[in-house]
Amino acid sequence: MTEFRKTKLLTLAFGALGFLSSCGGIQNSINPAGPNADSLSRLWWLMFYVCTAVYVLVMIALVIAIRNGGRKSDLNPVLNPSPETETRKRNAVLSAVTATVVILFVFLIYSYSTGRALTADLAQKNGLSIELTGHQWWWEVRYNDVDASNIFTTANEIHIPVGVPVTFTLRGGDVIHSFWVPNLAGKKDLIPGKVATTWLQADKPGVYRGQCAEYCGLQHARMALWIVAEPQDQFNAWRQNQTQGSVPPATDSQRYGQQVFLSAPCVMCHTINGTRAGSNFGPNLTHVGSRNTIAAATLSNTREHLMQWIVNSQQFKPGNRMPQNNLGQTELDALVDYLQSLK
Amino acid sequence: MSTRNVIDISELPHHGFDTYDPVWWGNNGLLAIETSMFAILIATYFYLRQNFALWPPPIAQLTAPLRPLPDLGFGTANTILLLLSCIPMAITDRAARRGDRDTCRIGLGICVVCGLIALVLRGFEFPAVYFRWDSNAYGSVVWFLLGMHMMHLLILTGETVLLFVWLLTREFDMKHRVDIVTIGVYWYWVVTMWLIIYAIVYFTPRLDLRT
Amino acid sequence: MSHGLTRKSELAQISDEELAAQMDRERAELERTWAPPTGLRGWLTDTDHKRIALRYVVTAFVFFVFGGLEAALMRIQLARPDNHFLDPDKYNQIFTVHGTTMMFLFAVPIVTALGIYLVPLMVGSRDVAFPRLNLYGYWVYLIGGILLYTGFLLNTGPDAGWFAYVPLAGPAYSPGKRVDIWAQMITFTELSGLAGAVVIIGTVFKMRAPGLTLNRLPLFVWAQLITSFMIIFAMPSVMLASGLLASDRLIDTHFFNPAEGGDAILYQHLFWFFGHPEVYIIFIPALGFISSIVTAFARTKIFGYTAMVLSLISTGFIGFGLWVHHMFATPIPQMGQSFFTAASMIITIPTGIQIFCWIATLWTGKLNIKTPLLFVFGFFANFIIGGLTGVMLASVPLDLQIHDTFFVVAHLHYVLIGGSVFPLFGAFYYWIPKWTGRMLSETLGRWTFALMFIGFNLVFFPQHILGLHGMPRRVYTYLPESGWGTLNLISSIGAFILASGVLVFIINFLWSRRAGEVAGPDPWAADTLEWSVSSPPPSYNFHNLPVVQGRHALWEATPDAPVVRGLSTTKRETLVTSVLDAEPELRFEIPGPSIWPFLVALGTAEAFIVGIFTPWAIMAGALLTGAALICWFFGDPNYENRPAIESPSKVASPPELRPKEV
Repeated sequence: MTEFRKTKLLTLAFGALGFLSSCGGIQNSINPAGPNADSLSRLWWLMFYVCTAVYVLVMIALVIAIRNGGRKSDLNPVLNPSPETETRKRNAVLSAVTATVVILFVFLIYSYSTGRALTADLAQKNGLSIELTGHQWWWEVRYNDVDASNIFTTANEIHIPVGVPVTFTLRGGDVIHSFWVPNLAGKKDLIPGKVATTWLQADKPGVYRGQCAEYCGLQHARMALWIVAEPQDQFNAWRQNQTQGSVPPATDSQRYGQQVFLSAPCVMCHTINGTRAGSNFGPNLTHVGSRNTIAAATLSNTREHLMQWIVNSQQFKPGNRMPQNNLGQTELDALVDYLQSLK
Repeated sequence: MSTRNVIDISELPHHGFDTYDPVWWGNNGLLAIETSMFAILIATYFYLRQNFALWPPPIAQLTAPLRPLPDLGFGTANTILLLLSCIPMAITDRAARRGDRDTCRIGLGICVVCGLIALVLRGFEFPAVYFRWDSNAYGSVVWFLLGMHMMHLLILTGETVLLFVWLLTREFDMKHRVDIVTIGVYWYWVVTMWLIIYAIVYFTPRLDLRT
Repeated sequence: MSHGLTRKSELAQISDEELAAQMDRERAELERTWAPPTGLRGWLTDTDHKRIALRYVVTAFVFFVFGGLEAALMRIQLARPDNHFLDPDKYNQIFTVHGTTMMFLFAVPIVTALGIYLVPLMVGSRDVAFPRLNLYGYWVYLIGGILLYTGFLLNTGPDAGWFAYVPLAGPAYSPGKRVDIWAQMITFTELSGLAGAVVIIGTVFKMRAPGLTLNRLPLFVWAQLITSFMIIFAMPSVMLASGLLASDRLIDTHFFNPAEGGDAILYQHLFWFFGHPEVYIIFIPALGFISSIVTAFARTKIFGYTAMVLSLISTGFIGFGLWVHHMFATPIPQMGQSFFTAASMIITIPTGIQIFCWIATLWTGKLNIKTPLLFVFGFFANFIIGGLTGVMLASVPLDLQIHDTFFVVAHLHYVLIGGSVFPLFGAFYYWIPKWTGRMLSETLGRWTFALMFIGFNLVFFPQHILGLHGMPRRVYTYLPESGWGTLNLISSIGAFILASGVLVFIINFLWSRRAGEVAGPDPWAADTLEWSVSSPPPSYNFHNLPVVQGRHALWEATPDAPVVRGLSTTKRETLVTSVLDAEPELRFEIPGPSIWPFLVALGTAEAFIVGIFTPWAIMAGALLTGAALICWFFGDPNYENRPAIESPSKVASPPELRPKEV
């Protein structure tokens, strides 16, 4: 019995420790930055506190039961307990069951109304509309608009204006993936053959990380994305820029870099608007220079990383679809100059 | 242990019909498993149907019928045959309970023949579907329904042959009389399942449940 | 009721020495009749339910250790961010094989194995209803496990997760034979589970001793019975899921191919319609273990027998209505999903009733605090956490944050380890003395418990937090900036503490074989019938079948209770009784050792293993299996050629269950 109590205390201590080390952070569902994640966080805390209270009560009952029972020394089986004891037990069990039912009912109602509120809004959202297609192991992002000239495609980095609801249409490109940005909303699966919709909204400017949440093969662990929430005017500027074609190369090195790009295997998979590279197999690179990360939020977008990634992406993301590229240092320098210029 | 009073079971028989014998429970357990399987497969059929505007899907060939519904001929013949086969089976069942060996022999023999013919007819039902198992989801699920049932027809016929051979060559003992009655249950089950599958495969597309 | 079968025994007339001599003679004959076959042939043909059950237990425990090693490897990889201990391909195979091993090769087989061992003893029978089917079940299970591990060790283990969602697991995105091995292994393990279920139902319904009405059935047996029904209705669904997947992969059907009208969500429905009941199939037998242990160690009956039985039944039933809660993130309409939230919450109620009844029982009992009871306490402490996080996951909106994260990993381990493995270890400490005849060390038992309890909570409690903090499942690594490193390290350390607990158990077991105190028939002074025979029990279980007089057979047995006489000592026979009131009906002949289950299993193996490589193998396998089945039918040596007996269509009147005075 002492051992049992000791170990229970240890568990509780660890639990507390864990929580203390927790607060704050991106990619954190209990650090909401938007209304969607916020109502979910509230639901979480309600359930957490109630469940903790229930657990503590049941454990207290158990400990008392053990202490009560542990005191007797004669171990002959009791076959006919007294009617009063039986009645007391019955009442205790009935009360506990009733309490359980009430609590579950409260949870059910609260959960249902939270859920309704989150989807009911979906139909009315007139804000931004983005189409996401999941690929092994990157995100194809397409900004829709009624005006076709405002439609553009990018990859892995999504900008949204603060305070505006954004509707996402989700399509599976190859296998099932799941779109999840914990600071902003719950997740939704991208299933081949099906179309799903979800929405989210950021109420504070910031960068929020998301990650694929449905096992999708070798590099599921490295299929992440960034949502950059910025003030409306900044967003408009960004969007305006993204709808333009690629920045033409300005320096000799960049021009050479463009030639390298167009004569290397790069064109087999990547699009750069304004050049003859138009394949959709891999991420759209038209404005790759403007992104914070590459390789689906695996590496920061630095010169060093770009070079390493191009030459041997397999060392960072073994099994990904991009082949190794044996380029000489000059070609590589020029290529990276060019890519970094594509802002 | 008391030696004063005992429950003396030395005169009890070794086998009994229906729920007396564990074999009845085992057999029905297996049938419950297979029924679950068919129920889920039928649910799959209707689930997949939701993915199709036209069911069966159209065939892009000038010579194909406008709606390639499964041809009724062999399926209906099989259905009638299986329904009729319940008669010799029921007669055999009763004969087994009575202990009438000769009727059992004849009855089981007829059942064997029915089973074999049903299998042949089933073979012709597959091409009557207009699609192969690898054409599309419709073809896949219909072939699976027909095929799973055919597997049961095969096992049923096989077991009936075994019992028939036993009746011809060995003793007509209680254990095997119980076996005959057990086969009867399996027989009726296979026929019932077929009626359901027949209705679903051949008729529900014809009813055009969706507008 | 009139009495056809009770009479005064002629044994009452003879002297004590003659009685003892006669009993000895009968026991010697029974030993000969029921003697286990020896040698290799013996090992292949032995149909004794206890030995088959122990094989299941040992095999499943070996798989448990393998699964644990896989878990240890994963925890090493995840202990630090950006770790290079395992490459992604290895990691993905390991987490798949870990889940598959634990769910299919360890959990279900071991809980049903305890049923196969104990149910005939608890109901007062000499064997199970279908011993050869039982043996067949073991062979196909073993073959399935060997198939999986052969693939794994040859670097062609499945790597699409233990539930193998399509399209990832389909022909386009999982080339090669990895997923085929998984799909076919499912066939084997589910065949085995189904065989076991039919065996248990047949035994519980038809082979109970006189007086053991359904109303007196031990809760352990109720749990096994309900689990068996669940297996019958749930396993066909996964057979279809894996069968249709194998078919898509091997013969180009289009069940899950959206391009030809197939549906990826269909697979999820088919899998989870099985998958959810599966966890109750693993959990409900454990509830039976708890009831047995609490009764024996609180020295009193479980409070609320009827409520307990109805709770087990309703848990089993409702368990079939929850499956969509695994699919809340898919585009299924929300209205429909809410039904599953309600059902997933409602199922808490019957489990809650059981927990409250047990606590009430402990409260007014007299506690003999030994290792089995410690594990029961561990069950309460751990399982309830899992149950509560389950209620959280049941909420659709909240689930969308925590689904597919380490929160779910934590939840599932709390309910499975807390809810099944802790009771299982309690059951080991309780029943191993019966199986081996030796007690386990109580000191080592306490160490086992403490290490397992601490280790388990260290591994899995932090994972709740990791999930809330954004760590998805099934990731082979994570970035240092994520901040997940510390909790992952704690979790990994915990894994080794948990493993050491299991190691102590193994040491305890090995030690007890040599030096454990001799157990005798009833070391715990317990209530159910298995404790009335020697430890280990004789092959024939009972010399004279008992007559049961209450829910706690040994505690409520009167000194002059009658016994059943009249079963042959020269042929293998046991008593078959009626379903509701256990009135004697037949003297059932139990088949003896037979090679046919093994050969039929080989035929099945050929069909499904070689069938991975060519569909024609299925034809060949069918022929081989058919041939073996024919020999099975024709060749049984137990069936003598007897002339037809005109049996009465109705059995004679029911027997007297209360002894008459002379």
